[in-house]
Amino acid sequence: MTSKIYVALRVKAAPERAFEAFVDEIGAWWRPSSLFRTTPRAPGRLAFEPGEGGRLTETLAGGKAFEIGRITAWDPPRRLVFSYRQATFPPTLTTEVEVRFEAVGEETRVSVEHRGFDQVPADSVARHGFSDQVLLMRLAEWWRVLLASVGDFA
Amino acid sequence: MTDVRPALTSVLCYRDPRAAIAWLERAFGFELHMLIEGPEGRLLHVEMRLGESLLMVGQEWTENHRSPASLGGKNTQSVHIQLTSDLDAHCARARAAGAEILVEPATQPYGDRTYHCRDLEGHVWTVGQTVQEMTRADHEASGVKVLAWP
Repeated sequence: MTSKIYVALRVKAAPERAFEAFVDEIGAWWRPSSLFRTTPRAPGRLAFEPGEGGRLTETLAGGKAFEIGRITAWDPPRRLVFSYRQATFPPTLTTEVEVRFEAVGEETRVSVEHRGFDQVPADSVARHGFSDQVLLMRLAEWWRVLLASVGDFA
Repeated sequence: MTDVRPALTSVLCYRDPRAAIAWLERAFGFELHMLIEGPEGRLLHVEMRLGESLLMVGQEWTENHRSPASLGGKNTQSVHIQLTSDLDAHCARARAAGAEILVEPATQPYGDRTYHCRDLEGHVWTVGQTVQEMTRADHEASGVKVLAWP
């Protein structure tokens, strides 16, 4: 069994639009976190390659692209699953993010479930010495910021 | 929605918080906004929202935090929901979800329509909706002594 954090909020848009904003405009709505740094370099620009197997990459200022993960489930406009790893993770470690889009009246409830972050080892710089509880709480709070930002773009 | 946590939040203990989360959504329309589960499946943090209001749901996290289900139904605090419309429909939804209605919907002398119920583990909830705006004079006319009025 692995840890999970779940964060949801409503955005003022239909699922089709929310899904499109999430995937196509991630370069605009993504908010880098100083705690959850994807690479040791200055934050770059994120982009999804749409469709199953598509990559989620971060292109750095020098032009190099870091692969954060790959889309493992693609079901627009309802569901998206992708793998997620930071450059500081051990090479074999990956975590999983599932995003769901549910219509609620004229709005969409966007939820994110990020699984497996507790597997970041105790001595990893990616953990900052945090206990599972603190690490997961910070991760959830960051996703709350990210989803609020999606809401601003959708 | 707001990201800001309000100054005051109720934290309710349940023996089975997962069942409570589902029930609170079904009965009262709370929406799950944040849930953190540790590697052993233990719930570390749960936030639900109703409009701008926040509710935290947890297990019995210390010796001294207990669900009414562990205390023979005793409550030491109660959560109140103030509606702006459809109190009777709210009560019907809660009843359909299995709430025990302790006091049926009724309009009170102070101008609110209210009902009381127990949730799946015995927490008592009170629900109200103002159906008649009352002035200070209205209250005093009904024989109530008003010592302070906003």
